[in-house]
Amino acid sequence: MDDNRQPDGIVLTEAQKRSRRQRSIAIALALVVLVALFFAVTMVKGPAVLVRPM
Amino acid sequence: MSLVIFTAMVGLFIAPGHVHPVIAFTSILCIAVGAGASGAMNMAYEADIDALMSRTANRPIPRGRVTPGEAMAFGLILAFFSVITLGVLVNLLAGALLAFTIFFYVVIYTIGLKRWTAQNIVIGGAAGALPPVVAWAAATGSLSMEPILLFLIIFFWTPPHFWALALFRSDDYARAGVPMLPVVAGPDATRLQILLYTIVLVAIAAAPWPLGYFSAVYGVTSLVLGAGMMWLAVDVYRHREGKPAARATRRLFAFSILYLFALFATLLLEVVVRAVMPFFFG
Repeated sequence: MDDNRQPDGIVLTEAQKRSRRQRSIAIALALVVLVALFFAVTMVKGPAVLVRPM
Repeated sequence: MSLVIFTAMVGLFIAPGHVHPVIAFTSILCIAVGAGASGAMNMAYEADIDALMSRTANRPIPRGRVTPGEAMAFGLILAFFSVITLGVLVNLLAGALLAFTIFFYVVIYTIGLKRWTAQNIVIGGAAGALPPVVAWAAATGSLSMEPILLFLIIFFWTPPHFWALALFRSDDYARAGVPMLPVVAGPDATRLQILLYTIVLVAIAAAPWPLGYFSAVYGVTSLVLGAGMMWLAVDVYRHREGKPAARATRRLFAFSILYLFALFATLLLEVVVRAVMPFFFG
């Protein structure tokens, strides 16, 4: 067994891991805002949400 | 960016009829995100010239914090979601106008005009003038003369504003190879153009009063503010050398921001006062 064997694939640095986590949180928040927005507008418009006049 | 959001808010609030706060918030959010998307794509495309100009050298791409590819992808995603959300949740006309605004700013202005002609900011100014039109369409589902007047005010405001900036940053633009008017036609020709556009701007800004869309309060305010713009434009035209010339252009640039903000704030204020105290306006 070779203990010095390099792990396979790309290994992220701590800074890259931190950036990835921040990006994940930002995407999650953006999705939550989008869902909340669609829910709120559907509540406000009711069935008329399906009517989109030019 | 703040002027884009503010002018859009004014377009939304002066539109006739009631807009539910949730719809108003959604509209402004989509317009703001669309503007951010345009900015991201603009910075992705202009990373090479941004690095050469002191005003833009500290932007995230020239500093190496974001790659152009990342900025372009971010901008495209934001543009897609802002347009779809506005079209689906508010109305298709507003969504289509927002899509056109983003397209015009990124493709027509940034990619097409900016490095090609000295009229770049004149034609490209249409993109910056559209947000109140988008907002009006979001509120009413249609277009009329009032949003076109708002469009024209910002459209004719853009050249004096950006040419004043270009006059005291002309070295930057020349170094980056951007054919702004002072670089191509020289500072004196630019000063004349600033003066001419300011005359047209002041006339158009007052037009909602004689056309009957707004009261004399707005009309007189716009003329007083316009007198300030004219004074500073004449100052820029008269002072052509040394520190007085530099001071005049910087003052015009700074005042032009205040001018547009105050003009639109007056429009907003009049609509609010009209709603609260209708007897003042019959």
